[in-house]
Amino acid sequence: MKNGLVTGVVLILVCLGLSPVFAGGKKEEAKPAASIIVNWVAHPAYSLTGSDPARVEYLKGVVGDWKKQNPQVTLVDNVLATNNAESMAKLLEQASQGRAPGVAQIDTYILPRYLPYLQPIDDLVKAAGIEMNDFFPFAGNIVKGKDGKIYGLQFTTDVRVLFYRKDLVKIPPKTWDDVLAVSKELKSAGFDAFLFPAGRAEGAANTSLWPMFWGQGGELVDASGKAVFGTGDNRTKMLNVLNFYKSLVDQGYSPSRVANYGNEADLNVEVASGKTAMFLGGNFQVAQLTSIIGADGMAKWGVARIPQKAGAKNATSAGGWSWGIFTKDDATRKAAFDLILKAYVGNSGMSNWCSIAGYLPTRKSIYSNPLYKADAYSGLFMDILEKDGMVRPVAEVYPQISSEMQIALSAVISGTKTPETALDDAWKAVNK
Amino acid sequence: MNRILPRGAREISFFVWLLPLVLVCIGVFVIPVFQIVQLSFTDATLLKAGSSFSLTSYSNLLTNPDFASIIGVTLSFVVASVFLQVVLGFLIALYLDYGNTQGLHGLLIVRTAVLAAWAIPGVVIGIVWKMMFSEMDSGLITALCKLVIPGARLQFLSSPSAALVSSIIANTWRGTAYSMILLYAGLMSFPKDLNEAAAIDGANAMRRLFQIKIPVLAPLVLICILLVTVQTFNTFDMLMALTGGGPGRSTEVIALNIYKTIFTEFDLGRGSAAAVMLLLINIGMTGVYFRFLREKGK
Repeated sequence: MKNGLVTGVVLILVCLGLSPVFAGGKKEEAKPAASIIVNWVAHPAYSLTGSDPARVEYLKGVVGDWKKQNPQVTLVDNVLATNNAESMAKLLEQASQGRAPGVAQIDTYILPRYLPYLQPIDDLVKAAGIEMNDFFPFAGNIVKGKDGKIYGLQFTTDVRVLFYRKDLVKIPPKTWDDVLAVSKELKSAGFDAFLFPAGRAEGAANTSLWPMFWGQGGELVDASGKAVFGTGDNRTKMLNVLNFYKSLVDQGYSPSRVANYGNEADLNVEVASGKTAMFLGGNFQVAQLTSIIGADGMAKWGVARIPQKAGAKNATSAGGWSWGIFTKDDATRKAAFDLILKAYVGNSGMSNWCSIAGYLPTRKSIYSNPLYKADAYSGLFMDILEKDGMVRPVAEVYPQISSEMQIALSAVISGTKTPETALDDAWKAVNK
Repeated sequence: MNRILPRGAREISFFVWLLPLVLVCIGVFVIPVFQIVQLSFTDATLLKAGSSFSLTSYSNLLTNPDFASIIGVTLSFVVASVFLQVVLGFLIALYLDYGNTQGLHGLLIVRTAVLAAWAIPGVVIGIVWKMMFSEMDSGLITALCKLVIPGARLQFLSSPSAALVSSIIANTWRGTAYSMILLYAGLMSFPKDLNEAAAIDGANAMRRLFQIKIPVLAPLVLICILLVTVQTFNTFDMLMALTGGGPGRSTEVIALNIYKTIFTEFDLGRGSAAAVMLLLINIGMTGVYFRFLREKGK
């Protein structure tokens, strides 16, 4: 008689009964001794579930040993989204709502935005015997709050440089005039002389625009964090950069298809084609390209500082990843710090991780550590980082500046706008 | 065995059965939409905690010339994609229907091949077409074109207008299968005696198509157009992988703009205002759809 009603009620009760199964996600294994839970969130490429077997093998080994040494700790590992901007936005939202994991990987340039939610780790850094002045200045400074306390540790860095074919370019160009002169010869020899990312992604701004803009002394924001890139001298300096790239495309030294390449790694396919003579890229491409064109192919390539406008100083952009600890529980904070110390930040951790993954260490002493397996370019990368390395501003307006200037650069390269119009439109959009 | 419940029990049963659906709708649709509308009237960003009431998101959006350009690109993308998807979907459906009536072999293979494009995630389609449209000599379409016109300067993705056309082609390839499924279902249920009677009366194939099949299937075609239009307005994953919205803003549709505003520029207020605009467009399209269904039911 009341079968329909009864069935409905039973179904709801069954659903309610099953809800823990759906809501629970990973079910913790029963570990009677475990009293500390560390929620550890890493970028997929830096995690136990990465696609590179060598990285995963290293991490499984070091994390496995750490677990044995810390039976009282349960490690819950999760990964960020592969899209960096998206994953950082979501992590920031979680942090602002008090839902951040215990320890998470953070794109260093945006780490200051997390300062209100991160826990200081000065005591743990000191106890581990790590000196902050061992870090490159840009890496050591950015993790400190206004109170001078340490809120994170940058464990990898990267640097933007000029890659050039040593068999085609005898002396790497130092100035834009040098680039144009050597490109003329390379073009007549049938090569794509000078490639650079000019599409709509952070790589275009960070690699193609900022180093040449900073080299002239340009500033994206002022001391108060207000955008200044499109006004006064800064406007002239940014226009110089856009005009330089326009002249490369207009003269056929750079193909307009660079407007499709937003990130440095997008150029790898061009390099593999054998028709590229020079390109702007990141140090991390050494490992990527070696796996594509082989060690012999890579041996043809040299590395130099990014060419600058005549009279400008050398400058380049440095990035990288940090670890930040969100948990306020002291025991969990210590356990999380111990994990990142062993795997990524300590002497052996940073030496091994950077060697295996092909990143640059952020601590100067690691470059002379016997465990660190440097590649042929590491010495020069370290020199460039130390002397010319600059980081993107942490101002609230920076993401919009970057986005609008990516649009401006790709519009100039594709011929949609003149450099003046493109820059003025970007300036208006940022200031609206 | 069917049993008729008493009126009171029927009413209670009705609410009990409906409850899970209502809860799901509230949890995954009503609350998120309410939050988006709420955020659109604030200056919220992901870079700072807290926000205050503001109309600047809407005023900035509506007075921004870039937004007008984004709307223009979106309309071009949607109109061209929907037209091509429905026309090609209808042609493939006719082809399959013809094969079916003639008892031809291989129809399953054709259906599967067309459906495969629909089943592949948008990001993968974007990457595949990016490789196809590569302007390097190794790009498949570039290589084929250069066989015909050696030395041609091809800019499938680096010229603003060509990039939009390339995006429409890729989206048409992706979405044609959906139209084909809907319209093929319509053709399968098409009354055969109508077709046979017209043939006996001397109507040739073209007349039967334009004067019998299309008028009979017109309601289904309209529904197909509405559904495909809503889907195309919401497209962003394929474009994200194919062009990223560039060069410049030449392929930046409104859905991609929302994603970039929120996740790249961290501007929740402005991104939410654009999302509300897209929601209104979709509500309008859905309203037309339901009105049409009601008219048809009368």
